[in-house]
Amino acid sequence: MSEEIVKIKGSKSGLQLSFADGATFDDVRQDIEDKLVSGTGFFLRGTLVLLPSDAFTEEERGKLQKLFHEHGLICRTMKPAEQQTPSEKVREESKQHQEAVKKAKAEKDKVQEMVVVNRTLRGGQEIRTESSVMVCGNVNPGAQIIAGGSIDIRGTCRGMVHAGAFGDSTAFIIADHLMPTQIRISNLIARSPDEMEKTERAERASIKEGRIVIEPIER
Amino acid sequence: MSEIYVITSGKGGVGKTTTTANLGVGLAMRGKKVVLVDTDTGLRNLDLLLGLENRIMYDLIDVTEGRVPYKKALVRHKKYDSLFLLPTSQVKDKMAVNPEQLITLCNELRKEFDYILIDCPAGIEQGFKTAIAAADTALVVTMPEISAVRDADKIIGELGRADKENIKLIVNRIRPQMVENGDMLDMEDIDDILSLECIGQVPDDIKVVTSTNKGEPCITMDDSQAGTAYRNIVGRMCGEDIPFMTFEKEGFWTRLKHVFRK
Ligand SMILES: Nc1ncnc2c1ncn2[C@@H]1O[C@H](COP(=O)(O)OP(=O)(O)OP(=O)(O)O)[C@@H](O)[C@H]1O
Ligand SMILES: [Mg+2]
Repeated sequence: MSEEIVKIKGSKSGLQLSFADGATFDDVRQDIEDKLVSGTGFFLRGTLVLLPSDAFTEEERGKLQKLFHEHGLICRTMKPAEQQTPSEKVREESKQHQEAVKKAKAEKDKVQEMVVVNRTLRGGQEIRTESSVMVCGNVNPGAQIIAGGSIDIRGTCRGMVHAGAFGDSTAFIIADHLMPTQIRISNLIARSPDEMEKTERAERASIKEGRIVIEPIER
Repeated sequence: MSEIYVITSGKGGVGKTTTTANLGVGLAMRGKKVVLVDTDTGLRNLDLLLGLENRIMYDLIDVTEGRVPYKKALVRHKKYDSLFLLPTSQVKDKMAVNPEQLITLCNELRKEFDYILIDCPAGIEQGFKTAIAAADTALVVTMPEISAVRDADKIIGELGRADKENIKLIVNRIRPQMVENGDMLDMEDIDDILSLECIGQVPDDIKVVTSTNKGEPCITMDDSQAGTAYRNIVGRMCGEDIPFMTFEKEGFWTRLKHVFRK
């Protein structure tokens, strides 16, 4: 059979069942019973199963419910509001997906834009942007950069720098002398050692294996 | 051509008023016509350092509020007659003068004086904004100490925001022995953060305090190291190229001298 009689879709609340067009109650019942007996797939004990409210008669649905109960599953009828035919659902989802992709792309474009700061950021000054930041100057103690993208400092960084501030964990921070009070990338925080030597080489901070690591780079 | 300087710091007590009084006297000693404007309303003490407290009749607020012309409020120095003080009120607060009023006043003063030095209150609030409004150049005073340098940095940022690009640094209360021992920031540490042209390095000097009590700034004393440092700043303000002095340290030989004296 090319089409499954009983289609199962996982959702937050439980397993949503839908039935092939034209499938009779007996076909469905048989299919479900086979699946339950074989014990494979989705039908595990304690799982919530949702039946479409427009399928079959109430009596028939009651029979299916009983069948599930016998195998230790919980069965409910979906309220019409929650109910969607699978094809609609898929279409809707793919639309959502497309939108999400579009949005992510837009965000990526924003990240690829760059804010260039041609001066030293002094204590109390702050740059906050969704894109990346390049500073031609120092970032002094008490200054802050919060960037959606990466941060490149052509000078000494002694302030607080947060790259990937909106969750981009591939963002990085580069400085000629990287000696900030705090480095944040995405949702990770690294504090500077209490005694900090002035570094001689440019360094790059990024996330590797779930930790912020700092390594020297050439430039 | 007159020049308007504001002497500012962010952090309080680092030596703004001391610097204003000394530079004022120093410039007057060179024959320049100088007015010192005290904008630290409510906490005036520039008059004390100059020994002029008992001569004050009117103040800055009387002038900006139009009660008297500025000439009536000026107090001439006892000894240096090209030096004047425009004192401020001790009963009003810093909201009593706004930036426009000070700019108007300074434009008047420009016609009369070679140098206008404005003593700024500590902090970055309204009083600071008013004090810097009219200035051509800002002299940022700091001390070799983390918190003072941080505040100076912040002030420099604020000055930049107010489009004051002409900013120079004075480092006050340097203790060479402590710098030597690594217990105090040295000029390199300070320059690392502030990266600003420095026109003064003033040592910590007990004579600053004793001279204050006499109402005669230490710049007039030949035997004061701080006095020499202030004279050098005055020279640099007048366009001379003066190298920075090396401080006499409480080194091995001086300590030995002390021993022999005892
Ligand atoms: N080079 C120095 N050596 C020793 N003492 C100094 C020196 N400079 C300033 N002082 C002392 O430090 C104290 C504060 O100085 P001053 O009043 O000039 O600071 P200020 O910045 O004007 O303070 P405020 O913020 O309260 O206006 C004074 O007692 C002064 O005598
Ligand atoms: Mg003062």
